[in-house]
Amino acid sequence: MSLYRSGKDLINQFYALVKSTQIYDLKNDVVIAAADKFVGHIGKFLANVPQVEFIRYRDYIFFNKLRMRFEIEGYASLQFMNESYKRLKLKSITFLPGVTPDEIIRFASLFREDHDVFLKSMAGGDIRSVTVQFAGPEEEIPDFLQNGEQTKRAYFKSLKATKNLIQNLWTNQPVNVKSFRRVVYTLIDSISQDEYGVIALTTIKNFDEYTFNHSLNVGILALAMGQRLGLDKKNLVKLGTAGLLHDIGKVEINKELLYKIGKLSETEWDRLKLHSLFSVRQILKTRGLDEISISVLVTAYQHHWNFNGTGYPARDQEEILPSFLSRIIRICDAYDAMTTPRPYQPVPYIPALAVRVIWERKGIFFDPDLVKIFVQLFGLYPVGSCLELSTGDIAIALKENTGHIDRPIIKVVVDQHREPVDGALIDLSVTAGVNVTRAVYPQKYRINPAVYLT
Amino acid sequence: MLNRIEDKMPELIQGLVKTIKAYQMYGLNHPSFRNFYVPFYDKLNGFLEEYGLLDLQIEKFTILNAGQVVYQENEKDLSIAFKLFRDGIRNINITEGLTPDELLHFIETIGQTNKDQDLALSLWESNFSHLTFYVVEEEDETLNYLIPDPQYYDIDYDARIRDILDHERIDLRAVIDPDLNDKELAKVNAEINEEKAVQVGPAITTMISFLNYEKSTEIIDSLGELLERCINQRDFFNARRIVQKLNEFPEIKIIKKFENEKIILGFADLPETLDDQAFNDFTAFLGFFSPESIPFLIRMSARIRRKERRDSLRQRIAYLAQGDPTPILPFLTGSDTPVLVNAVSILGLMRIKKIADYFEPLYQHPNPGVRIALIEALFNIKEPAIILRFLEDPDQGVRINTLQALTALQYQRIFNRIVKRLREKDFLTLDIAEQKEYINCLVGVGDPKRTARLLEKILFKWVLFGAKKYRVMRKLSAQGLAQLAEESAQKALAAGCRRKNKDIRQACEMAMRNR
Repeated sequence: MSLYRSGKDLINQFYALVKSTQIYDLKNDVVIAAADKFVGHIGKFLANVPQVEFIRYRDYIFFNKLRMRFEIEGYASLQFMNESYKRLKLKSITFLPGVTPDEIIRFASLFREDHDVFLKSMAGGDIRSVTVQFAGPEEEIPDFLQNGEQTKRAYFKSLKATKNLIQNLWTNQPVNVKSFRRVVYTLIDSISQDEYGVIALTTIKNFDEYTFNHSLNVGILALAMGQRLGLDKKNLVKLGTAGLLHDIGKVEINKELLYKIGKLSETEWDRLKLHSLFSVRQILKTRGLDEISISVLVTAYQHHWNFNGTGYPARDQEEILPSFLSRIIRICDAYDAMTTPRPYQPVPYIPALAVRVIWERKGIFFDPDLVKIFVQLFGLYPVGSCLELSTGDIAIALKENTGHIDRPIIKVVVDQHREPVDGALIDLSVTAGVNVTRAVYPQKYRINPAVYLT
Repeated sequence: MLNRIEDKMPELIQGLVKTIKAYQMYGLNHPSFRNFYVPFYDKLNGFLEEYGLLDLQIEKFTILNAGQVVYQENEKDLSIAFKLFRDGIRNINITEGLTPDELLHFIETIGQTNKDQDLALSLWESNFSHLTFYVVEEEDETLNYLIPDPQYYDIDYDARIRDILDHERIDLRAVIDPDLNDKELAKVNAEINEEKAVQVGPAITTMISFLNYEKSTEIIDSLGELLERCINQRDFFNARRIVQKLNEFPEIKIIKKFENEKIILGFADLPETLDDQAFNDFTAFLGFFSPESIPFLIRMSARIRRKERRDSLRQRIAYLAQGDPTPILPFLTGSDTPVLVNAVSILGLMRIKKIADYFEPLYQHPNPGVRIALIEALFNIKEPAIILRFLEDPDQGVRINTLQALTALQYQRIFNRIVKRLREKDFLTLDIAEQKEYINCLVGVGDPKRTARLLEKILFKWVLFGAKKYRVMRKLSAQGLAQLAEESAQKALAAGCRRKNKDIRQACEMAMRNR
């Protein structure tokens, strides 16, 4: 069994144990069986490693340095762990060799208590094989996770490869397929390590290089959704590649038309709509035909197909649903397109409005189930949102809070006197008395959110 | 302990190298490959159980373990080290618990000889549980880390928000609950599972849509590749769709590539193994083949045991011949009986009269199967007079087929000959099946009234045979009467049921029941 699978199983088993201690007497057979199962499993690890450690950092739970991802399967257990860590102000829990079922039962039963009782009980010293560390006022980055620079590097490297690919196709130059293919797996690795770190980078909006940024951003957003959905690696590769290449057919569209400011004529619009068709040819040119491109070309072709049978290119029968991956790309493409300045839309939608539009159009343009996943992942105030607070301060949303879609982790950047400040991080999910009043344009306050996020 | 690892290492690496070479020579399914792979897996597994980890560092032409060179090959094309090094792989760790499938896949991945392959990418996509590797990326100092400034406009940004809300008809007070219920969750999970299969069908639909808009070499070539894939995977439904579309471009002879002996004879197992739908797709797909493929198709379909499928394929081949027997005729002089039978049957299905001339030398063929095939073929071209030749055939099966063919063709000129045969003393020495066939033929070809009179006579009066044998004739004639729609025949049967004679009564009752 893989380390990752074991970590997920241990979290599930611990969750079951805690729940059983809240329902039954601690001597009940159900509780004892749950404890035996957990100790049996963790004992196998402790035979080979000095300790088993669950650390929480930025809403992520790490099992012996391996990040546990929020996926549909086991979502409840992982969310419970995350919430419990937050409520009990825990930084880490460490299980040591010799841990007994009796100790585990007593430890699990403490999860119903509040922070003070928990702290006092652990200080009592009668649970010796389980140790905890409490979180300080400032969240410390675990040493094994100091890879923000790596994430950034991966992003810019991917951007460069995407740009090279598109530009070379535009000018009929040979493309470096190998380097481009590696972009996808670099992104997948980065997202699995630092999901929100990578998502934050999608707030970089480059007006002059819209095409490249958009392709990369759609790839990243789609991969984040794919990871949340628990797609396997192969499907993540398909999804990421589809995100990066979905608009590649635009290289066959005249640049003047592509960047035209003002209303398009019907003929021009018809021509522009052909880009999803042309993407099929460009994908085959770029990647050749393999299992990945078979899926990618379908996704690119269908990425403007709406959930209700409308959209383009026309399909033979309206009831034919776009492929699953196309429906993901449809959402991510629309979100990034809405939130990115373009020649014909110099002041784009703010992220919070784009999320609302997507929510309102679920079942019409977008797959309703996938829209829900999208909102779970990005929240109502996605990373980079500029927010007015009930305190009068202005803040930037830095990260979503799993399970609290309207209460992200924020950083105050302008105070109520409209003075720029380097405010502290505020986790709105655990901070009473501070609320988001509304989302606003960061330009109103001359703020560039990307600066705080990258 | 280090010494012991060092002792085992050369043998282990040699095992790896030999297994990779065996894969390159024979492929995964060949027994010779298994001869290398199985002992290597056992050895590696034993090593991992003992030491927990196999740690290999990769240099340009060498592989090292604990700083010691355990493999060296300086020839770029042969060197496994170079192959790994070239794609940036610098370290491979194999840990305890490695499964046979994982090792097999690892061997398959690094044994690939495709020069365009990115080994790091292939290993990464394999998603191994007990095999990790470290890859160095090319360093690029020209990365632009500058974050562009946003554009600021002199507009009322709050008014812009109000405009958007108005335009999109959004109520910010609406509650959003993104939780999926169990049914929605199950649906999403089902779709995730479905996504694991390769979606060839939608890809073909997409490419066909492209060709509906514009002819494109890339798309045509890719459809050609997909066609090959579909054929290899026995997906004839999609293969058919591709060929149908590409046939719109007369200059593209897409099917030509597959009209060879190796590919067509490779289909031989399909009629026995495919399900009904897939078999129908397969026969429909063969409809795209040209007459040039007929010789291979005849050989391919000669030994099919399932009759209905054999017949269906013969129909398809006959259709492909487009009225020209030329590609089939050489098989009439061959010594392979199943192929000969197949050829005769197919010629018959072509329904051209002149083929009877080609059959002439075969009428005395020693194999009864061939003679039966000839009867069927002659039946198809409606040549009862020639079929009649087989009525005295030494083989009972041939005679029965003859009678059946003549019955089906309603060859009336045989009526008197059958009556005569019924009267012959040795008629009762024939097998009951053949006797029945004579009566069936009589009923089938004769004038109903006349036949009813004759059968009635046999049933009630005929005294040609001895009493014991006569019981059989009564039964046969009663059955014959039961097959006739004539009123007189029905009356005769009804009268028979009332007779005191037990033989007559029982024969008539049974015939009425079985009618």
